Amino acid sequence: MEDQGTRPALGEEPPVVGSGNAPAPPGRVPPNPFSRRSILRALTSPVGWIPGIFLASIVVVLMLSSHFQNFGLGFFGPVWNPNPTDPSVATYGILYFVIGSALTAGFALVLAMLLSLAIAISLVVFLPSPASRILTSLTDLLAGIPSVVYGIWGYVILAPYFSKQLDPALSHYLGWLPGFAASPTEYAGGTGLLLAIFILTIMVVPLTTALLRESLRAIPREQVESGLALGATRWEVLRRVQLPWARRSIPSAVLLGFGRAVGETVAVFMVIGNEVKLPTSLFSGSSTMATLLVGQFDSAFEYPDLLHALVEVALLLLAISLVVNLLGLRYFGSGRMAHVGAGA
Amino acid sequence: MNAIDDRKTPPPIDELTRRGTSKRGSGVSVAAAVALAVVLLLVGFGGGYALEKSYGGSTTSSASSVAITETGSTLIAPVMSLWGPNYTALHPNVAVSVGFTGSGTGISSAESGTVDIGGTDAYLTPATAAQYNLINVPVAISAQLVFYNLPGLNQVHLNLNGTVVAMIYGGAITTWNNPLIQAANPGVKLPDQTIIPLHRSDGSGDTFMFSSFCYLSWKGWPNGYGTTVKWLASSPGYNGNGGMVSGLQNTQYGIAYIGISYETEALGYGLGYAALGDNLANANGTNPANYILPSATNISQDANLGLLNLDPPSVAVSLILGGVPGATNLQLGAGGTNPSVADPTPYPIVNLEYLLISTHPANPSHQRYVVEFIQWILSYGNEPGKQLSAVSFLPLTPTVVGYDMEALQQVPVSS
Repeated sequence: MEDQGTRPALGEEPPVVGSGNAPAPPGRVPPNPFSRRSILRALTSPVGWIPGIFLASIVVVLMLSSHFQNFGLGFFGPVWNPNPTDPSVATYGILYFVIGSALTAGFALVLAMLLSLAIAISLVVFLPSPASRILTSLTDLLAGIPSVVYGIWGYVILAPYFSKQLDPALSHYLGWLPGFAASPTEYAGGTGLLLAIFILTIMVVPLTTALLRESLRAIPREQVESGLALGATRWEVLRRVQLPWARRSIPSAVLLGFGRAVGETVAVFMVIGNEVKLPTSLFSGSSTMATLLVGQFDSAFEYPDLLHALVEVALLLLAISLVVNLLGLRYFGSGRMAHVGAGA
Repeated sequence: MNAIDDRKTPPPIDELTRRGTSKRGSGVSVAAAVALAVVLLLVGFGGGYALEKSYGGSTTSSASSVAITETGSTLIAPVMSLWGPNYTALHPNVAVSVGFTGSGTGISSAESGTVDIGGTDAYLTPATAAQYNLINVPVAISAQLVFYNLPGLNQVHLNLNGTVVAMIYGGAITTWNNPLIQAANPGVKLPDQTIIPLHRSDGSGDTFMFSSFCYLSWKGWPNGYGTTVKWLASSPGYNGNGGMVSGLQNTQYGIAYIGISYETEALGYGLGYAALGDNLANANGTNPANYILPSATNISQDANLGLLNLDPPSVAVSLILGGVPGATNLQLGAGGTNPSVADPTPYPIVNLEYLLISTHPANPSHQRYVVEFIQWILSYGNEPGKQLSAVSFLPLTPTVVGYDMEALQQVPVSS
């Protein structure tokens, strides 16, 4: 962390750490099969395949236990009713869970992007160096808190507050806005979309902040200085030079942040209210695909159909997160700040 | 501006040295991390070893040490965590491992034979049990309470019968001052407020019992019974009994089904619980017969019902007395219906907690230890006021213990 935060931004073509210290020019000396380098390579290169093998085996196992033909297109319908007593009337439709996932992850992402853009700018541009360093570490530390801790905090501390203070107030004063009008029954308990979005936002902010912050830090010093030398104010330099530069990291921040938000399970499970319906307001209880999985998996061992349905949900979730993360990393790599990515 | 300049103007030489140190630093930190991991491992194993010694006392004969594995119901796991070490203290060569995994996992692990004992709140039906060569061994009695959060009325035990409760959870009754509720509670000023029914969002034996109660109490109950069922769209879900308690505390005008193990916790939050109508109370409340409080006596009586009323006698039964008008209804895994209830004041949602063990063990000499452990649970482990009361379970009745002991005879063991 510390190293990341204080490492000076390098010039246009930063040497990539790790390849910069390649030994002896190639071609002259025949490679010694017992050199430390060769031994290290022999030891590590098979190990390098392990993550790929894991990923492949997860995908294969899920695909093999998939019974999509049992469900067909009704799988995207609105009724989720794992009727254990009469399986013939059981239906498995995940529409409301998909909507719940999209709403929580989407709103959380928008809020997190706004927040982390502000944080990144203040950390890189405005705050004096020592304060910036400390606050950078603190933001990064937020990423390391186990999600169940966020869940407990949200559930124990925030839910009563939301239920008794914030939700009634928001509903009363902003009730004319769509999504804010609600009956007291809706925000009883305090759990629901709003609390889930709030918790998710806090959980996504460290990631998106790190991406934006490092891209701001990577701006060549000359560009900033020439801007200032031309008589631009700091605000103008920020707006004309630094922000356009940072803009190229926004797609990867959005994608990686979305991947984090849509896959988050335990914390959301604890605060989202777990109602299966189309939300009628921001205070409605809801469910996501991830909370559906964690909530019903234990029962699924008893009802084969439920297990099959949950496997489909897991596959869908896996596909979404793979696509989002691959795209995010691609954008990230295409930016010029690949060398500063480790901190994220 | 300074901030920018500071950061952007490193002399190259500085950069080189900085990288040098940071690399040396990273080598040191890798070494430190490895050392830390090694230390942690040593401490972990060493600590385990020390614990083993302190528990085992003279356990030097590790050759004869036996590991009994249990997994399943999170309701059983706490008392299992008391039974296990207490048994090990008496029998130092036997160690019991306990898994807090849920009834579903307990059942599937027992079926696949990956554990010696599967703990579950829901019995295995006789057919399934026979298929997997398992037997249901009840080891304790639990019950379920219907709690509510009604400001000003939490000190009153409202009278609710099964039909009313099922209609609330089924959406047919939506406000507290509904005539059906009012009729059962003459003289109580019920609020004109929407009822918020809370449910368990995780798969749970409590949901199994409660949905059985609804299913058997109201003909209009839509969604069957099981450890996970569909609930009303407006019913918020909470995780675990603990979640239900704190969720209800935050939810005025809510109602929730909560295992008796959490009674003390719920009362500590000032929540109220209902006296549940027995099977004689009918839907319109005109014959409210008895409303029964979940006292120890009222609960224990139920445990014998399956053994006294069924032919053949069975413990594979949820002791759910549904209020379908005109019918006395035990829910029977064994398939019987409408036995006569000799019990004068049966609390309507009572459950046995089961351990599942194999009747065709791969290793009969190992199974001997499992059977001995369960026999100990049935005798010393069931002493009133001791280990069971720590988790608010009730001891088995002598009738059930006698049945269990006989059932354990079926298990082939060898020494």
